[in-house]
Amino acid sequence: MTAPAATAPETAGPAGPLPGGQDPAERRARASQSFWTAVVGVPAVFSVLRLGVEAGGELQTTLLLVANVGTVNLLAGFLTTAAQLLSTGLVAVFALGAVLRVSVERMPPGFRRPLFARWVDITPAWFAAASFLLALVTWPLLYLPLLVPAFVAAFQLSLERLHEQPVPRVLLLCGGFTGYLWLLGPTLLEAGRQRELLAMVLLVVPPVLALFVTGPLPAAVIRPLASVTEAAVLATLVWAALPVISTPVLPLTVTTIEPAPGVSEDVRGHVVTVDDVNVVLLQEHGGVRYVPVGQVRAQVLCPSEDELPRRRLRVRDFHVEDSLLEGLGRRVRPVHRIDAACRTVR
Amino acid sequence: MNEVFPRHRLRSVATTVAVALTLTLAAAAGCDNRREPALPSVLDKLRESHIDGQPKIKIGVATTEPLMGELRNGRHTGFDVEIARYIASSLGFEGDQRIEWVPLATEDRIPALQGGTVDLIVSSFSITEERKKLVSFAGPYFVTTQEVMVPKRLRDRIRTIEDLREPGYRICTSGGSTTEAELGKHEVKAYVVKEVGDCVRGIREGRYDAVSSDETILAGFLSQYPTEFEIVDMPFGTSELLGIGVPIGDPALRDLVAFFLQKSYLEGRDGISSPWLTAYNRTLGPWLKADKSQPQPLDVPKLVDFDDKAPGR
Repeated sequence: MTAPAATAPETAGPAGPLPGGQDPAERRARASQSFWTAVVGVPAVFSVLRLGVEAGGELQTTLLLVANVGTVNLLAGFLTTAAQLLSTGLVAVFALGAVLRVSVERMPPGFRRPLFARWVDITPAWFAAASFLLALVTWPLLYLPLLVPAFVAAFQLSLERLHEQPVPRVLLLCGGFTGYLWLLGPTLLEAGRQRELLAMVLLVVPPVLALFVTGPLPAAVIRPLASVTEAAVLATLVWAALPVISTPVLPLTVTTIEPAPGVSEDVRGHVVTVDDVNVVLLQEHGGVRYVPVGQVRAQVLCPSEDELPRRRLRVRDFHVEDSLLEGLGRRVRPVHRIDAACRTVR
Repeated sequence: MNEVFPRHRLRSVATTVAVALTLTLAAAAGCDNRREPALPSVLDKLRESHIDGQPKIKIGVATTEPLMGELRNGRHTGFDVEIARYIASSLGFEGDQRIEWVPLATEDRIPALQGGTVDLIVSSFSITEERKKLVSFAGPYFVTTQEVMVPKRLRDRIRTIEDLREPGYRICTSGGSTTEAELGKHEVKAYVVKEVGDCVRGIREGRYDAVSSDETILAGFLSQYPTEFEIVDMPFGTSELLGIGVPIGDPALRDLVAFFLQKSYLEGRDGISSPWLTAYNRTLGPWLKADKSQPQPLDVPKLVDFDDKAPGR
């Protein structure tokens, strides 16, 4: 296994020795170690925290979940729900870091490099590209346009790289924007009808900002921007991590049981495990229930309230709150029926 | 050099503004992602409704109207019953074990809703301004007309409204119906009985000569006695909009019922087999003279539901 930092040599870093007078090889090795510690440690810590929250803070219930939820399932579940947050953090760091890096290169030699710029120094281009790819497939379509200025900033794609002659450059830009507006035209009209101003701004403005975002920044702005954005990114990640921790680990079901002949009862909760004797249910309102297998009459999968859409907007029949992955998935299984039991049992 | 410097400076300012705006938009997107949805959901409305938490839903239906609402071999059948099952299932009451069928005569429908005997009424209930003062309606889910059914021996003699006015003919209708009022408006004297079925029985026993009611109800009796009766198309001039009756004090339930009728309407419009179309083809469809389609429900609220993200095509 090769750590990204170890394979991220001079191509990603600035020309010449790194500031601070340390040995670059030693620095890279330490960075690599920290990177892999974070890759393994953060999901593990988050997963254990999630189990604790899922169990309702009860020690015995937590132990029951730990005993029955497999490590691989737990990590896969974590990645499914946290991929969006993870890619958002990485994209923010790479975009801001690249703009700050190109800005401080014009500063006098003694100028301290901002943290994000140093992170960009030691990150290989493939890792940054993979982060953007992850964001591309996991972000809701409504927020995807924000990825355009972020990508342009992270890879410093200035207008000059489009074409060396100004006229073809402008023509290419006009063509690109026309195609973009053609793609989003019906959505923008519908957003106008529904008075969704924020949606319209989020769809139209970011690609325009991408034209100017590559830097460099004025000297007076660098230091405050670096401090504020570092704090803001950290705070946002903590704020956004809370829902990830409280996202359920196990799927939500309604189980119909018949404790006595002619008497039926619906239990809303998560199936922890099933063996020859019992179905173990973690009830949604709290508590674990052991139901004899012979009493189970029916079981249906239910969506949670967090999955309710907020808007009625679509981009070419893809819902704006779906990611590309979710939208493609809905085309594979287009019919989605809510079982009646999911509506009434709470 | 003098030209390069301002251009460089302009570029720095543009970058600063662009970076600041991008960060602002990102923050706005983050906050937007966490805000409460602006539109109410089906779940919100269910919680507001009086049926929330009930083990069963009580639905008032007719039991003596073939093709519309009939109790046959202990099982409720008919177009109205099928529509009622679809609405109940959409509201979370799937299967007959979660539905309490309440048999209702025409004249008992409004008191049953007002008194809380039933949660919904799906029983050839015409939407009228007078009734709207007493109960709420979701729909219409069917548009029908008022017609007259006569025994075959009289089919050449009773053809117009004037014929109905002749004192020699005994016209029958059900009490509390819109037909009763419509006949009165046309100065047709009618014998008023409890159910349309009583009129049909009366004609077969020689007590009446003709029965007037909604085309849908008459088609049901025609399906029972196809060799004995004939429906005569008369220009009463009014169309009956059948709606689902809901207690006037539960607007959330009315909104939910209207929303699910609209869902079926949209499915049918898009060429998909809708619950309405299935119910129609299984019951009324073969017995009506002209093919009908589901009318667009009125006053449908905008609600969000879990399946809103599913592809439209």
